[in-house]
Amino acid sequence: MDFSIIADSFGLYIQGLKTTLQLVFISLAIGLSMAVPLAVFRTSKNRLISGPVRAYVYFFRGTPLLVQMFIIYYGLGQFEIVRTSFLWVFLKEAYVCALLAFTLNTAAYTTEIIRGGIAGTPIGEIEAAKSVGMSRGLMFRRIILPGAFRRALPAYSNEVIFMLHGSSLASVITIIDITGAARIVNSRYYSPYEAFLTAAVFYMAITFTLVWLFKKLEHRWYAHLRPQEHSAAAAA
Amino acid sequence: MDTGETALVLEDLHKRFGSLEVLKGVTLSAHKGDVISILGSSGSGKSTLLRCINLLEVPDKGTIRVGDEEIRMKTNRRGERVPADRKQVEKVRTRLSMVFQQFNLWSHMTILQNVIEAPVHVLKVPKAEAVQVAERYLEKVGIYDKKNAYPAHLSGGQQQRAAIARALAMEPDVMLFDEPTSALDPELVGEVLQVIRKLAYEGRTMIVVTHEMGFARDVSTRAIFLNEGRIEEEGDPGEILVSPKSERFRAFLDCSI
Repeated sequence: MDFSIIADSFGLYIQGLKTTLQLVFISLAIGLSMAVPLAVFRTSKNRLISGPVRAYVYFFRGTPLLVQMFIIYYGLGQFEIVRTSFLWVFLKEAYVCALLAFTLNTAAYTTEIIRGGIAGTPIGEIEAAKSVGMSRGLMFRRIILPGAFRRALPAYSNEVIFMLHGSSLASVITIIDITGAARIVNSRYYSPYEAFLTAAVFYMAITFTLVWLFKKLEHRWYAHLRPQEHSAAAAA
Repeated sequence: MDTGETALVLEDLHKRFGSLEVLKGVTLSAHKGDVISILGSSGSGKSTLLRCINLLEVPDKGTIRVGDEEIRMKTNRRGERVPADRKQVEKVRTRLSMVFQQFNLWSHMTILQNVIEAPVHVLKVPKAEAVQVAERYLEKVGIYDKKNAYPAHLSGGQQQRAAIARALAMEPDVMLFDEPTSALDPELVGEVLQVIRKLAYEGRTMIVVTHEMGFARDVSTRAIFLNEGRIEEEGDPGEILVSPKSERFRAFLDCSI
């Protein structure tokens, strides 16, 4: 193990780290905000509303992320109409293509996760909400979604970690994320061991930070499931 | 306590689930201050009747009037009968609080949050005022000290009392109780009945589906025996519970000492 290689390329890794974090958090943020309304549509009894969402989720869960990224990065440029449109300014960038693929992918998975949370709402809680005269919108906002998020949290924390690891695919389309940095270091020094082990350590550090954050969030959100001491003592 | 003013009128309610006809024409009216006990064996349609009142079940036929407001119905494209105006149903529901057999508190909210939720977000009462009202009712049902606890941390009896406080906080015209003590351990039934009893004596208008014969006899102003989707017998609970006219009601009472 040659630590000088790692030390020499540390700047590159940090640059890669920034790109990875950006890609992951932007796609997660947009993906999550798309997934909430999509999940609500997905649970609609009206097929015209739930059908398209179902098809979208089916496509993005049914195909590998790498293929989706290739379709967007290599595929879209084939169309004259895309190349001549104002969107081409963005879509010719590998970064934007990766971001788009990640966002659409995580939105699909997250939709399904939140849908599960919504479906798990105890029927009694919904009836109680109806019985006090809540509208559908209010019921979703105050009763169904807060409960659904809590139920979805463990599955969602998995999705976030998958997304982080999946983001390493961006390196395939010229993006210098953590994996991209490792590939450069590897080709520069012919030392895959140092190069990729360093990348692995970076991913692990981010993963553990995420796990810790979700643990914090669970602690806060699951107050109603924790043994009595906290809340009851606070009430006295 | 009957003031003569009508609080609720149900006329000729019918309800079927698939091929099973649960309600076969029930007519019932409640005046302000009435406490009506609905009795009947399981499957007789008593819960369905109660749930039709606030449209948790939509009756296939018949009219519902709360105060002087009749709930408008229409037939949808699939030929089902549905409320014509969702907003009207929501408004009427705010005047009819329901207490459920399984309490149905919102599990992610504390007791206080449960009680102020609808007043603040549905009735748009200022939060400080809603908290004041909620605390008064929590005091009244005897669980003020649990106001910051979550439902899962309370006993069944405490949860049901919290649910009653939640219903009271809406300041409803009519309270609907759907077997409020049936899910409770025997030693917890008393504390809940005591609260409901207190409300009855205050002159609140209540419709109570119950298996508690003692409660029906002592507290209600009228008792109704429902059998196979029809009212088989009704009247003063002191009379009909002691000397029932109908054979079925007598059999039912014999079984449920």
